[in-house]
Amino acid sequence: MDVSNSPSNSSPDSPQPVDPPPSGRFTERSLAEWVTFAIASLILIGLVGLILYDWQVNQNRPPAFNVTVSEAVRITDGRYYVPFAITNTGGRIANGVQITAELQIEGEGDETGEQQIDFLSGHETKAGSFVFNHDPDSGDLVVRVASYRLP
Amino acid sequence: MTQSLPDNIWRLECQAVFKGAAGGYLFGVPLLYTVEVWSIGSATGSWWLLAVLGVTLLVVWLLTQVEGFRQTLRLHPIEAVMESVEALGIGVVCAALALILLRRITVETPLSEALGKLVFETVPFALGVALARSTLQGRPPRDRRITAPLSRHLSSPTLASVRDALVDLDATVIGAVLIAFSIAPTEEVPLLAASLPPLWLLLIMAASLGLSYGIVFAAGFTDRTERAQRGLLLSPITETLVAYLVALVISVTMLVLFQQLNQTDPWQEWLSNTLVLGLPASIGGAAGRILI
Repeated sequence: MDVSNSPSNSSPDSPQPVDPPPSGRFTERSLAEWVTFAIASLILIGLVGLILYDWQVNQNRPPAFNVTVSEAVRITDGRYYVPFAITNTGGRIANGVQITAELQIEGEGDETGEQQIDFLSGHETKAGSFVFNHDPDSGDLVVRVASYRLP
Repeated sequence: MTQSLPDNIWRLECQAVFKGAAGGYLFGVPLLYTVEVWSIGSATGSWWLLAVLGVTLLVVWLLTQVEGFRQTLRLHPIEAVMESVEALGIGVVCAALALILLRRITVETPLSEALGKLVFETVPFALGVALARSTLQGRPPRDRRITAPLSRHLSSPTLASVRDALVDLDATVIGAVLIAFSIAPTEEVPLLAASLPPLWLLLIMAASLGLSYGIVFAAGFTDRTERAQRGLLLSPITETLVAYLVALVISVTMLVLFQQLNQTDPWQEWLSNTLVLGLPASIGGAAGRILI
């Protein structure tokens, strides 16, 4: 009776799969586990590939900066807000990038602004504003990067 | 049985992977909220990132020998390697998702910065995945994994007992790594080390040893009969000293990994930073020996 009614289970009361020999093959690894392994390997290979690509492209190029000052000056409560954007056009990261702005107006003396940016990676752009008491259009505005540190 | 089998292996595998991911988040979250890790990660060069990945894979492999994220209790050596690769892969994915969620990696993030953050955040996540089996297992009697020796030479009785002692040390390693990892990248370590008077380091050492001894032995939390039966019980003093040395090795490794120490630093700085980080590491190691 049990022979004819249980075609798939030859030994229905068999215990758990027997422990594999200590140093045998690893046949007990299922297909699903192989899939996980394949995906994980692909992710890691991709990550390593990206790191190597980044090294190839960026790591040999020292930081260089490009500061642009926007024309769209905002005036609030009699103060002039001059937006700027700084881009690290080099490959490597720079720490403590120091940006200075100098506004020279005839007969009024100089006005200066300073800004320090902690981290600026390669190709990264950060923005901010300098604030002056005088209209920058009436004088000579010079914005430049004064210094930076390497990490 | 044959029909349910294909469905079963996928479900089991999903469970294992999600368990690993859960363990990863449990372990990885503290470092996710540490600003130093992002900045160290962004500023790190490519070869260093590869080295960090390599070291992580090695540590995960060591952990997989006894812990891992799958339920398997007997492991072929090659399977241990494969499971470590999987753990690292799960760690990368979890860390990436978390960094994107917290907007540390966005579309505008430059590639090198994103890679650095990802690699450094992957480390705790991957360790968490490799520890998932035991951290997420509620039942008190935890089963240790047995990895089959690669060859007959490694199965001699002496080497087996050395291996067992190493397995016992892994509790110290796990605890110390868990605590020291979230402290090592912070600026507090060099800050504390710099402000110590000259002979104060000896006091720190004494405190580390005393606390480690006190937590494990004097407080009497542990049931040591099981280890005594296996004949692995080192004398309390020896065990404390060995655990402290392990904690110091872990501390210096962490500091180098996070580039808190480099070759240009004077040896005094290496010494003081390591000993300062050694205090929390040895406390973590002691806690690990009790809890794991």
